[in-house]
Amino acid sequence: MSVAQDFNRSAIPANMAQDEAVAHVLRKLALVWTDFEGRLQAAPLIRKLTRGRFEVADYHAFLINLRQQVKDGSLWMSRAASSIDEAHLELRSTLMKHAVIEHRDFRMLEADYVASGGSLANIQRTEKNIGSEALSAWMFHEASKPNPFGLLGAMFIIEGLGSIKAAEWGRLAQRRLGLPETAFTFLLYHGENDTEHMQEFQEMLRLVLPDESVAARIVTCAKVTARLYALQIEEITP
Amino acid sequence: MVTLRDAYITGTGAFLPGEPVGNDRMEDFLGRIGGRKSVVGQRALRWNGIYTRHYALTPEGAIQHTNASMSAAAVLASLQDAGLGREHLQMLATATTQGDYLVPGHASAVHGELGGGALELASFQSVCASSVMAFKAATLSVRAGESDCAAAVASEFSSRWFRPNFYEGTELLDDKGRLSMEADFLRWTLSDGAGAVVVEPKPRPDRPSLRIEWIDLTSLAGRFDPCMWAGSTAECRADLKSAWCHDGPRVAHTAGAIALLQDFKLLKVIFRAVLEVYLEKVDQGRIEPDSVDWLLCHYSARSLRQEIVDLLKRTNAMIPEEKWFTTLPSTGNVGSASIWIMLDALIKSESAKPGQRILCVVPESGRAMVGFMMLEVVG
Repeated sequence: MSVAQDFNRSAIPANMAQDEAVAHVLRKLALVWTDFEGRLQAAPLIRKLTRGRFEVADYHAFLINLRQQVKDGSLWMSRAASSIDEAHLELRSTLMKHAVIEHRDFRMLEADYVASGGSLANIQRTEKNIGSEALSAWMFHEASKPNPFGLLGAMFIIEGLGSIKAAEWGRLAQRRLGLPETAFTFLLYHGENDTEHMQEFQEMLRLVLPDESVAARIVTCAKVTARLYALQIEEITP
Repeated sequence: MVTLRDAYITGTGAFLPGEPVGNDRMEDFLGRIGGRKSVVGQRALRWNGIYTRHYALTPEGAIQHTNASMSAAAVLASLQDAGLGREHLQMLATATTQGDYLVPGHASAVHGELGGGALELASFQSVCASSVMAFKAATLSVRAGESDCAAAVASEFSSRWFRPNFYEGTELLDDKGRLSMEADFLRWTLSDGAGAVVVEPKPRPDRPSLRIEWIDLTSLAGRFDPCMWAGSTAECRADLKSAWCHDGPRVAHTAGAIALLQDFKLLKVIFRAVLEVYLEKVDQGRIEPDSVDWLLCHYSARSLRQEIVDLLKRTNAMIPEEKWFTTLPSTGNVGSASIWIMLDALIKSESAKPGQRILCVVPESGRAMVGFMMLEVVG
C-alpha cells in the first residue's frame, strides 16, 4: 500500500479539518523554506563555502555572528512561553523544554571558535551584525505578544537550519579547512534526526490549529524570520 | 486578434538502441578505467534502481548509432504512430544534452538524418528539461497556427562520454587510479535512446489523443551553481571564465574539465528547490493532486525518494504511488528522452483512458530547472 493511501486511511473524520489545516500550513512553510534556502545559497559567505573558497577567517566570522543569535534563541523562546495563556499549557511546556535544551548551545560555538584558533574574549565581545539585530528585535517583539503562536513559523525556519543545513555546512567547512572535528561540534551536532523534529513540530501545530488567523500568522512569521535570517548571513563579512 | 488553437499529441515514438544491458554487463560496454572495476558502481545502482538500459555502443566501444540518427528514428516512429509520414512534418524541435557535434545545432543534424524537404527547426540544448523546451516550441508553433504538424524529439548518447578515454590521463583519477565519485556516478546512471511526440491542431479521429492543457518551465539558475556539468573542473565551475575552450581541449582534458560531472551535495538542495516549484503549483491550484490520474516523473536517485514522499505526504501534495508510471528500471535514465520514452510506453499500454489526466514532471539538476506538462486523454 502506498504511503499516501496509508496517510488518508489513518485520518479519522473528526481530525480531518485539523489534518487539512496542518498540511496546508506545512505546504506554505515548505515554500518559505526552499525560497530561504535558495537565498542562503546565493549569500556571499555560503557561496564561498560551496565554491571551495572558505577560509578560517570566514569560519570565525560565521561563528561570531551566529553566537549572538543562538544565545538569544532560548531567551525569546522563554519569553514566548511566558506569553502563552492557560488554555495552551502543553505548548507552553514544550517551548520551555526547548528553551532549556538550547540555552547553552552558544557555548558550543565559543568552544568551536577556540578550537579553530580564535580567542574566547573576541567571540564574546563582538556586537551583533545588522541582520542579527533585526532578527533578534523581531523575535522578542513577537514573543511579547499574547499567545504568540506565529513563532512556530520562526521555529520551523530556525530548526530547519539545524536539521537540514548545519551538518552539510559543517562537513563542507571541515573538509575545506582540515581542522579537527572538535572545531565543528555545533554544526555537526545539529544535523540530527529530521523526522523526529518534524513529528514534534506537527504535534505543536496540532495544539493551535485549525485556526485561519493563526495559520496565516505562522506563515508570515516564517517569512519574516527567513528574510531576516538571510540578512544576518548576508551581512557576515570576515 | 489571433485566437490560439488547441494542440494535441497525436503520435508517440521511442528508439532504444541494441539489446537491454543488465547491471552485470555495463562495464563491458562502458569500459573499465585503467582496466579496473569501478568502486562506485554497485552503490550507484542501488540508489537509482535501474536493472537494464540500452547503449548505442558495442561492448568494444564501437558506435552503432549517432545521437542524430536515434532522434531521427524516434521522429519517424512517432510520425508513423500518428498515421503520418516525413512529408507531413513542417516543424521540428529537438532536445539533447550533448549533440554529436559542437557546431552546428543538433536540430540540423537530425534534419540531415531525416532527409526530405524544408523544415522549420528549433534546437534546444540543456539537460533533461530540454525536452520540455522543445515540446513547448512545437506546441506553441501549432497553437499559433504556424504549423499543422510539428514534432518534438529528445535524445541522448551519454555512453560515449563514459568511455575510459574521457577519464584516463586526467586529474579525475586519484593516485591509485580510482575515478572520482563526481565523475563515476553518472556512468552508472545515464544511458542512450530517443523519444518523440507529434503535435497537431486536431485530435486523431480514430483513437485517443492527448490534449495539451499547459506546459510550464521554471529555471532557478539565478540562485544555484552548476550541479551537473561538463566544461569546467569541480573547483572552478562557478566561474565561466574557466570554460574548457579558453585553454583548448588538451589542457581542459588533463584538468578533468571535459567529462560530465555531478555535485551530490548541491543535488539534494536543488531537489528541494525543484520540489518547491511543484508545491507552489499545488498551492496555487495549477496542479490538483486528486485530479491527476497518471504521474510520469523521471528521477535518477531513488535514495531521495522517501524524503520526497514524506514531504509530499505531510503537505497533502502527494499523488498516490499507484498513479506513478515509470519505465526507469528497464529503459534506464535517458536524460531528456526519458519523459517521451515513458509517455510512449504508457500510451502503448492503453492504460490511460479518455477523460484521464497525465502530469509529466521533468526535473533537471544541471543548474536547477523543472518542467511540467499537463495532458488530457481525449477521443
